[in-house]
Amino acid sequence: MTTDARLLRDTLELAMARDDFAKGFYARLFAARPDLRPMFKSNSEGAQQKMFAQKLCAIVDNIDDPERLHDEAARIAKTHNGYGVTAEMYAWVGTALIDSLRDAAGAAWSDDAERAWQDAYATLARAIVSEPG
Amino acid sequence: MGLELPWGARTSRPAKRVAQLVLAWSLDEPERLGECFPIEGPTSLGRGTPLSDDPAPRGTFLRSRPGQSTVCAPIANSRISRIHLVMQPEGDDIRLRSLGRAPVRINGVEVTEGVAREGDVVELHNAAVFYVCRRPKELPATSAGELGTFAFGEPDPFGLVGESEAAWALRDAYAFAGSTDRHVLLLGESGVGKELAARSIHGLSACRKVALVSRNASTMPETLLDAELFGNAKNYPNAGMPERAGLVGEADGSSLFLDEIGDLPEKSQVHLLRVLDCDGEYQRLGESKPRRSSLKLIAATNRSPETLKHDFLARFVHRIEIPGLGQRREDIPLVAAQILRNIAAKNGPIAARFFERRNNRVAEARLAPDLVARLLRHAFTHHVRELERLLWLAIGSATGDFIGLTPQVEAELRDSAESTSEVAEVDRETLARALADNDRSPTRTAKALGLKNRYVLIRLLKKHGLSAAGTDDKDEG
Repeated sequence: MTTDARLLRDTLELAMARDDFAKGFYARLFAARPDLRPMFKSNSEGAQQKMFAQKLCAIVDNIDDPERLHDEAARIAKTHNGYGVTAEMYAWVGTALIDSLRDAAGAAWSDDAERAWQDAYATLARAIVSEPG
Repeated sequence: MGLELPWGARTSRPAKRVAQLVLAWSLDEPERLGECFPIEGPTSLGRGTPLSDDPAPRGTFLRSRPGQSTVCAPIANSRISRIHLVMQPEGDDIRLRSLGRAPVRINGVEVTEGVAREGDVVELHNAAVFYVCRRPKELPATSAGELGTFAFGEPDPFGLVGESEAAWALRDAYAFAGSTDRHVLLLGESGVGKELAARSIHGLSACRKVALVSRNASTMPETLLDAELFGNAKNYPNAGMPERAGLVGEADGSSLFLDEIGDLPEKSQVHLLRVLDCDGEYQRLGESKPRRSSLKLIAATNRSPETLKHDFLARFVHRIEIPGLGQRREDIPLVAAQILRNIAAKNGPIAARFFERRNNRVAEARLAPDLVARLLRHAFTHHVRELERLLWLAIGSATGDFIGLTPQVEAELRDSAESTSEVAEVDRETLARALADNDRSPTRTAKALGLKNRYVLIRLLKKHGLSAAGTDDKDEG
């Protein structure tokens, strides 16, 4: 396992230990971009939060397996592009995600963790956007 | 090469029973309830695929049905750590050690290391709830396996919900009873699903295309019993009386389900003997010529079979003991989920308040894990009916948007003593002696041993590999 993968997993475990992590992420995202809220109307908040947490875990669990990661990116592209998600929106989501992770990790957060998450998220977002969807 | 005789196969041993965790609640994966996690040696449980530094081989979840076990995908529950539990068998029990972030509880007591026994409930806080049981890793193939085309955890074509060994044994008993022309007696406490059993047996019989005739014997006025059962000729006993076929006549070419048969007076039991014996021969009141009805009688009672007239009882070749929820506890979450689905389907405001929504469709209920954990240990007396009442009570007394363990529900729940202590307290020798002293009668033996009821005794007999009169139904056929 690479150092970055370990950092991602360790900080994610800290985030997932908090019952309100996914809820906090959406609160942060909608506070910054209220215009995104209607895109999530087909699922209840609880269901949306569960799906988000599950997907985030699946991505980080497979972070050092390029083939599986590619499959995850393809699955996300397939479901999200249909909703009218644009490349710009992935940047907003990335900001809300990393801010939420930083909050959840508290003192355990480091510059290295910040960089690892920035790199990993940028790679994933590029992979999703480049998928035909 | 020696001659191989068919009964040689009888020397084969019953399938080895393995300690397993059965998934009873999952935050992220409610569709996986009923999956089993067998522990045959050192085993680790965690989210995702195996890791190079797993402290023990990663176990797998199975969807186990008669003659087939399907390996399931790794856990994707975000609240479960990559390595959460390390377990190993310890005699009949499971020794477990927690390595995950969500605290682990056994029967509500937080532990970092402990032993979980059959009937215990293991909780990973706000992540998952497991029921501990011992069962074969793969259920033996049975004729009920043909029913297995319905989705795992969902009701079977006749409405029975459950993936436990007991549920599948029941489906097998129904399939066998349905495949023959013999009459059936269903035994079980109130609320175990005797009507559903009758529908299953009829639905699996050759006469399934004809509607089942169904009646509760306790609702028939005693003075009109014969007319209700056998019908009457026109103008009999009074002028102007219409001709009536009676239940026996109506059920010609089909099945007659008589619930609460224990309430039928002995005289009426005697009258029914002729129908059961002589190719369905009976006489309508006011007619001299005998008629025939080709029917299969499916009778049910929550009383001891010994309360029926012995010669009437003897006509029931198939006697099926329907287990209560206490004897198939791992099915409780599946049954609860089905009850909640039914509630949501008919009660829009409840669905909107207490259920998640995915792709604009009602999805799983927001059911609190502590409620599930307590239901798994509750001593049910009215079984599915009681479970439904408790769920309604939880809904009615909820203050938030989830179905949880409210004070009102808590006041109704009591931990099952039979789940561990009663089963452990009576040894095999005492049990065998009590059976012999009471002519192998389950009711009398249970009473002699001071057990709550004969169903507790049956559970004990199963544990010790013993049987009493009338508890080993299929062998009687």
